[in-house]
Amino acid sequence: MIEARGISRRYGPLLAVDRVSFAVRPGEVVGLLGPNGAGKTTIMKVLTGYHYPHEGSALVAGHDVVAEALPAREALGYLPENAPVYPDLTVSEYLRFVAGARGVAAARTRGAIDEVVERCGLQSVLHRPVRELSRGFRQRVGIAQALVHDPSVVVLDEPTSGLDPNQIQSVRRIVRDLGATRSVLLSTHLLPEVEAVCDRVLILDRGRLVAEGTPREIGDELEGRRVVVLTLHAPPDGPARTALAPIADLLSERREGDAWVGRLALGRARGGEDLFDWAVACGARIRALEPERLSLEDVFARLTAGST
Amino acid sequence: MTRRFAALVGKELRVAFNTPVAYAVIAGFLLFTSVRLFVARDFFNLDIASLRDYYGVMPLVFVVLIPAITMRSWAEERRGGTDEILLTLPVSERQLVGAKFVASLTLVLLALSLTGFVPLLVTRFGDFERGEIVGQYLGLTLLATASVAIGQLVSSLARNQLSAFVFAALVLLFLTGAGSFASAAVVPDRLASALSYLSLETHYRSFNRGVADTRDVSYFVAITGLALVLNTCVLLARKAR
Repeated sequence: MIEARGISRRYGPLLAVDRVSFAVRPGEVVGLLGPNGAGKTTIMKVLTGYHYPHEGSALVAGHDVVAEALPAREALGYLPENAPVYPDLTVSEYLRFVAGARGVAAARTRGAIDEVVERCGLQSVLHRPVRELSRGFRQRVGIAQALVHDPSVVVLDEPTSGLDPNQIQSVRRIVRDLGATRSVLLSTHLLPEVEAVCDRVLILDRGRLVAEGTPREIGDELEGRRVVVLTLHAPPDGPARTALAPIADLLSERREGDAWVGRLALGRARGGEDLFDWAVACGARIRALEPERLSLEDVFARLTAGST
Repeated sequence: MTRRFAALVGKELRVAFNTPVAYAVIAGFLLFTSVRLFVARDFFNLDIASLRDYYGVMPLVFVVLIPAITMRSWAEERRGGTDEILLTLPVSERQLVGAKFVASLTLVLLALSLTGFVPLLVTRFGDFERGEIVGQYLGLTLLATASVAIGQLVSSLARNQLSAFVFAALVLLFLTGAGSFASAAVVPDRLASALSYLSLETHYRSFNRGVADTRDVSYFVAITGLALVLNTCVLLARKAR
């Protein structure tokens, strides 16, 4: 469980995070989404105890990250941005060090390391110095390091950055697995990533939380009403258009052969049923009626317009 | 030593010994001090049954040796971003500072203990005073302890290894030479005694003659403690900044 309660963080005069509150429950993968400089990394640094918040407080597994820093960090696995590693250690030395420093009992260390090595696919590089590894392997070493003590809370800063498509798929699989029982917070600027792995999205812009919910909810909230694409066998005539006005706004229309396709924004408390009734009343024949979901790209662009 | 602390110290030593730097620094130290004694000073023709000359130059050699060992301590962690891993481990900042200190001191004391071949070699040829050699090693151990703590503090403030090395060497050079500036008598008496009190080398002097003075011991302990506390404060201040 992660709880951020009104956290703010400044860097000198720059307000990097502005009164952000949210929670990540166990069994949930939450994505922090926003352009560079929106405050994603800073929020993670506050949650992991690398920076103290200037206002507000944060709890990790029920422990305040400042006042009860050690138990909070105990429950936490963290992959910092760019997956920093010790180039002069071998993968096995590094994991052994992290396991020891995080208090994994000596008797369990071997098993714990074997498990994350297996999960992150590091068997082939276990005894190689990290400096010789490719970017993809380093990233996976960073993830393995974050998981070796079986934490209940996992914070991953851009876990798939710099990876090739196959590696991205495998990291996403790991993240989804983790999300089955743990609280997982990840940051990304890749929209497909959010849709692929996140149960919920927090959208940040210039340090503020501007939207929260499932990608779908955010779309609805932003639009305020639903958009549908209606296809009729023939264009509606004048009276039919007049009758449509109270039900929905016609955003755009086009012809597809004989058919007519209109994008309609439904009025408040109006649904597809109203459109059927309207079509029956004015003798129009419906060929198709599809809800249109705003893509996350649309949402993102609208919410963060002007910040870059 | 707890398991966590042991893991932290072990990681520092492993990083040091997985690269050639530590070996090179220690070898360079042994080579320089031995060449100076046996070649430049021509020790065997001096006909002196004392190693004061050999150990008396150590404070000046430490000015280079110790920053070379401590330079990467924090500066390299910050440059590589791995400080973010360290500082988010479930370990207190005090333990992190302590572990780095123990590891660096271990390397310096390893280098120092390897100089033991010199007394083992020469005491066969003359009537050396054993107590004096014990005093010299005790004094150098204390001097190394304080210097490592200072070098590590400077590393926590530096942006990279090179500036950590240069600034630590300057600080140690000042603290080593302060007593000599004072006795050059071009400064007011008050300042002279302050400089002399501050000087690492002044406090090592009596050890080099085989005399252990508790005031010197407490000076080294106090400097070490102060530098380690300040190092912890630097880490905490950076989190809150």
